Amino acid sequence: MANYYNIDDILAEEEFVPVVFHKAANGVIIDPSSETNSVEQGAKVELPLWLAQDLYLRQAISISVPACFNQRTRLEIQADAACVDLKSRSPYFYEFGCKIAPLVGDKTIEILLLSAFKIRYKEILTKAYTAAYTTASKFLTLLTKEESNLYEAAQVSMSAFKKWRMGGPRLQRASVLGRKRRSFE
Amino acid sequence: MHGRKAYELVKEFANGDKGHLKIFNNELFEQVIEECNEHHNALQSLIRKMQEEGLEVQTARNADHYGAFIHHLSLIRNKRCLMAYVHNRAEIIRELAWKVGLLHELPGEIQEKFSDLEEQYFKDHSKSLKSYMSQLSLDVNVDMVPPKDPYIKVRVLEDLGSGIILSDKSANFARHSMHFLKRTDAEQYIARGLMEELTG
Amino acid sequence: MASGAGEWSAEQIDNYETLISTTDVELLKRAWRNEKASPEILPFEEALVKRAKEQIQLMEETVDDFAESGHDPLIASLYQMDLDRAQFLLRSYLRVRLQKIEKFMFHIWKMDTYRNRLSIEEEKFTERCIRDIGKHLEETVLSKLPDNYQSVLKQSIISEEDDMVPEPQLDTFVVAKCERATRPLYLDGSRQSASFDSRQFAILTCL
Repeated sequence: MANYYNIDDILAEEEFVPVVFHKAANGVIIDPSSETNSVEQGAKVELPLWLAQDLYLRQAISISVPACFNQRTRLEIQADAACVDLKSRSPYFYEFGCKIAPLVGDKTIEILLLSAFKIRYKEILTKAYTAAYTTASKFLTLLTKEESNLYEAAQVSMSAFKKWRMGGPRLQRASVLGRKRRSFE
Repeated sequence: MHGRKAYELVKEFANGDKGHLKIFNNELFEQVIEECNEHHNALQSLIRKMQEEGLEVQTARNADHYGAFIHHLSLIRNKRCLMAYVHNRAEIIRELAWKVGLLHELPGEIQEKFSDLEEQYFKDHSKSLKSYMSQLSLDVNVDMVPPKDPYIKVRVLEDLGSGIILSDKSANFARHSMHFLKRTDAEQYIARGLMEELTG
Repeated sequence: MASGAGEWSAEQIDNYETLISTTDVELLKRAWRNEKASPEILPFEEALVKRAKEQIQLMEETVDDFAESGHDPLIASLYQMDLDRAQFLLRSYLRVRLQKIEKFMFHIWKMDTYRNRLSIEEEKFTERCIRDIGKHLEETVLSKLPDNYQSVLKQSIISEEDDMVPEPQLDTFVVAKCERATRPLYLDGSRQSASFDSRQFAILTCL
């Protein structure tokens, strides 16, 4: 696992997916509706992706398409991808989608992700270069983690360009030290 | 749900300002470790049960097997979160070693965020970097920004007195005094927030 | 120059660029640029770094002589600027490599291809890095975990391969500049061929 230590990858795998158990499992409390500490065959449970993934590979469960890729989201994305609140659906919409698609065998997820990303990518860059922060901040709440990274990257490169053009101090206090202390002033 | 505490630990790191440390969350950390041991106990008792029933643990696929498998997966998930928490913090610590740690003590407000072991790691890694540089007889932690002028104008932000001797001059570096210094001399004081570069 | 002020023929520009591109500063700049842009660590430019260090030292002496002999301070400061730029290149080149080592130490260490690309000093540094972080992870996490889960390379003893080792992402995109015109190339296994002109920029996958 090349990205074993990757924080975003870890968080993306915490997204929950609906599963059905084909095998029973003893000694685990993961089915809230069960009264014993075991899972019955046929039980319907929501599991985090990291757990569902390997149970699926061992053919203990089947996974269905999570709610954030449902028909309603698809219709909204078709209507106006840039205005859809993807963050509330999943802050890791794309990564989660890429991971889940092969497990549920739904080819349309890939198409959905790609078309959503293409449209929103343009919008993000335009906003990052032009919009004032006050108008952009509302837009920012709709973005997934990956998208806000892109937005920030665009802004950082823009301000670096401006700084280069205007001149000014090139050496600065190390950012790891945090904000300037003004205790003496 | 399994792995929830471990998730919170990672989430806490992710929510922090990029490149900055929060206090090492020892309490939550230890709870996750504890959970690991609980999973391990549960796993072992399920395996023992299978052995007692005379089943081949490697190949049997009964409800106990799947239960044990879930505990195993939960354990390695917890391990991944714990390791990622420590590993990603260590990355920030290394960055500190690069920027400020090789010559000087870290400011208290950063040091108090470290666990004891992290403090040791910071020292160890700084030493490794230093040893590399002395083998090469070249400092690689200066000149972090492409140079323009050999000399720059600086203002002293905190009283440094006359104790410092720079490569080509010594002066009284009182607070608010202004100097014209070699860029390479000034760089580290600026990085530590003791001087600032003036332009124009 | 015979052709008069500022009007160079394409051939002259080419000749000039060829000449410039063989100086050590240019070679160092190219090594630095390649190292910065590539996700994995590249072979260490041992001879070049050695030459650069010697030249920098020579230059430092020249600048000192200038300062002492009271020569025109403007010329001294021009030399100093040139020296500073060379030093920055060298330091930044070494620094980029160290930072890659810090990031991918376990991976570099176990792959002979990468390990052979290190200088002697870098090899020692890698070894120490692994020892430091290994000790840190061991004491903070691993020693507190159940027996079968204590490896720093494997998630558990069931893992067949080292499944905890971060690796550089090689299928990423890089920006490349063409040195000379190419014949048509089939990139990415695509059916369409692309040929590149000299000095053309392109964004390609790294692999």
